Amino acid sequence: MSPACSNKPWNDAVVITGIGMVTPLGCDAVGVLDRIQAGASAIAPTRNFDARPFACPVCAEIGDFRPHDFIAEAKLIRLMSRDAQLAAAAAHLALQDAGLDSDRFYAPGEIGLYGATGLAGLPVREIVPLLKASTDAHGRFDLVKFGDAGLRAVSPILSFKILGNMPVCLVSICENIQGPSAVYTPWEGHGARAIEAGILALQEGDARCALVGACDVKTHELAFLALEQLGLFQSWSDAGTGLIPGEGAVFLVLETAATARSRGARIHAHLAGWNFQCQQGSPQASLLESVLHALGPLIVGAVIAAANSDPARDDAEAAALARMDLADPLVLSPKKHLGDLFAAAAPLQVALAALLAGQLGQPVLANCFGHGTEQAAFLLEPP
Amino acid sequence: MNHRVVITGIGMCSPVGGDARESWQNLLDGRSGIGPITLFDTRTMAVRIGGEAKGLDPARLAGDFPGALHEPDRKVLFGLTAAGEAIRDAALDADALRTAWVFVGVSLESFPLEQAGMAADMDDLIESLAAKQNVRLQTPLDRLAQIMGAQLGFNGGQITNCSACAAGTQVVGEAFRRLRAGHGEVAVSGAADSVLNPLGLGGFSLLGILSTENDRPQHACRPFDATRQGTVLGEGAAFLVMETLPHARHRGARIYAEVLGYGTSLDAYRATDPEPAGKGAVRSMRRALADAGLQPDDVDAVNAHGTGTPKNDIAETCALKEALGARAHGIPVTANKSMTGHLIAASGALEAAASVMSLHTGWMPPTIHLDHPDPQCDLDYVTAGRRVFDGNVVLSNSFGFGGQNATLIFGKYHA
Repeated sequence: MSPACSNKPWNDAVVITGIGMVTPLGCDAVGVLDRIQAGASAIAPTRNFDARPFACPVCAEIGDFRPHDFIAEAKLIRLMSRDAQLAAAAAHLALQDAGLDSDRFYAPGEIGLYGATGLAGLPVREIVPLLKASTDAHGRFDLVKFGDAGLRAVSPILSFKILGNMPVCLVSICENIQGPSAVYTPWEGHGARAIEAGILALQEGDARCALVGACDVKTHELAFLALEQLGLFQSWSDAGTGLIPGEGAVFLVLETAATARSRGARIHAHLAGWNFQCQQGSPQASLLESVLHALGPLIVGAVIAAANSDPARDDAEAAALARMDLADPLVLSPKKHLGDLFAAAAPLQVALAALLAGQLGQPVLANCFGHGTEQAAFLLEPP
Repeated sequence: MNHRVVITGIGMCSPVGGDARESWQNLLDGRSGIGPITLFDTRTMAVRIGGEAKGLDPARLAGDFPGALHEPDRKVLFGLTAAGEAIRDAALDADALRTAWVFVGVSLESFPLEQAGMAADMDDLIESLAAKQNVRLQTPLDRLAQIMGAQLGFNGGQITNCSACAAGTQVVGEAFRRLRAGHGEVAVSGAADSVLNPLGLGGFSLLGILSTENDRPQHACRPFDATRQGTVLGEGAAFLVMETLPHARHRGARIYAEVLGYGTSLDAYRATDPEPAGKGAVRSMRRALADAGLQPDDVDAVNAHGTGTPKNDIAETCALKEALGARAHGIPVTANKSMTGHLIAASGALEAAASVMSLHTGWMPPTIHLDHPDPQCDLDYVTAGRRVFDGNVVLSNSFGFGGQNATLIFGKYHA
């Protein structure tokens, strides 16, 4: 069990001073929270490909994203996968929200950058020409043709588009961030680890400010294929419901409370506690309960749930929450409105919890219970 | 309270050996593990050489990790091989492993396109793949950590880091920070990689960073040599067992070396090139020195990133001179990639293991085929065979695609 942070003196506490997100329900963080509370949904049948080979027929796409609105250098945009473009936009919005986009209180080397990315999004449009040029008359992949003609049919920077660290590195280039860094992959818990890494960097004095977050795009054919083959659409076959792939990126600016106050920053919320547990196999209510227990007695006004419409997962989370004897909090399940952002789900849920804590004036719990081993929860307190 | 953190187990699976003992001996002997690629037909590719890892035996692995028997991803198998060896070397018991952390570094998913079949268009491709349930186009990068966790526990945390060529160094550094701060007693930390598949080799070849000296593979990777043309891809894995000193002492573990410091930085320069003066690398080394509470004059040797690409080796030399000052000229610098090739994510872990072995055995491996010194690379590179090393501190660098830099500092263990 990872140790939970608790009872830190306020000046040493880590606070969230910037939130940036690009989601299927919009790019304005407060508006996204409002739309979720109003019951809006971005979930719809897949638009860009025929989902009939898959058990899941729907996804949550970002309809009108224009990278040029956020990234000044056109040449850089061409180097970027969609994941990276979303990441760069969300990171910029977070720094802007924190008042750190133009007036740099920190030197570039004082800002840490910790991110997470999902399964590599192999660009299908590039791969099909490669396969066509590499296939023999009998429909078999031919390595001789691959080396001869196939490789000429793809972009020379194909590897950069699928390297897992590249979206985060491109954020560093766009925003001139030169401090410590790490990149994790590929699930919700790893997005939570990126947040934790930023908190630890501040507490250990490795950085004075940390930009933490993640990006993921699961709204294309190969992502559907991967999710299907990993068994993550099984509940669609069994129960006619299940996780809904989404896409997006979310970044948070973290600072110590003392530094944030010294520069007059607006504080969204105080990261009052967090905890991780490792899960082997299917979700267990008892394990999720132990994640929450380590945060101490929970008196919260709301819960940002990890629920993703997979009945087994939702039931386990509901059972864990029921055992916590919470006093009938407001429960929001963002994935049911804007899809499962996988690696980016954890920063999204923490961001929404931070905003809601500020609105309610009460602590809010953000659960980050997803596929993979790392299960986490964060407790956000109002400033 | 900060704990001292020590290395008590080492495992390697590399182009120069199927285990740590063989890999280390061949590194000391200056034997290259680079040769023609035999894993697939490369005859029409521009690059036809690589460092294929030795000693892979899935059947033997399945004794420790049943999930390995049908695992198609080579890097997962290399990782299990090296991690299993490190755990046996440290003689860790099941209880220690249950509560331990595991940190795994990886870079790129392998896409077995050659199994995809004909694709007239995207729908055709997807239907073709969806129909082949046994053909997995993607193996999630946390697969190695998952198999290790399912078999051995690792309930402290299972962290998968994908910081490209810096990942293997970062995972050792992150484990060090966790244990030093008291967040656990034991971590198994390392990295595994293989991009020796058609799309991996082809993709990196398109970037123009690979040597095309296919007719003399063993000479193709020449870090710091004036005639160097590029790096050579390798594959493999290395893992370290790391413990807090009290834990290691309590169980009477053999201690190879101590971890003293760790630092990282970002170039924020270009996605495709290192910052020419190595400014990001300088920040990484300075952070590691500060973390260790050391001065540049305390560093006794460097295990360089040394890829053999024209740009990297000059930038790293500049960075070493800037970060270490006059000391940079007075200490040995070696580049293991001259023998192993570039193991991408796994390179930092392998070079960390080699740095630890230098402190433990008193030998520095050579940088082979550095026969024509580059005037811009003017440090004391270890050439002409292994060199006796009686220093106390080794600094190991890794610099990743996209501008991620990481530095580890290891020290000789003194009780």
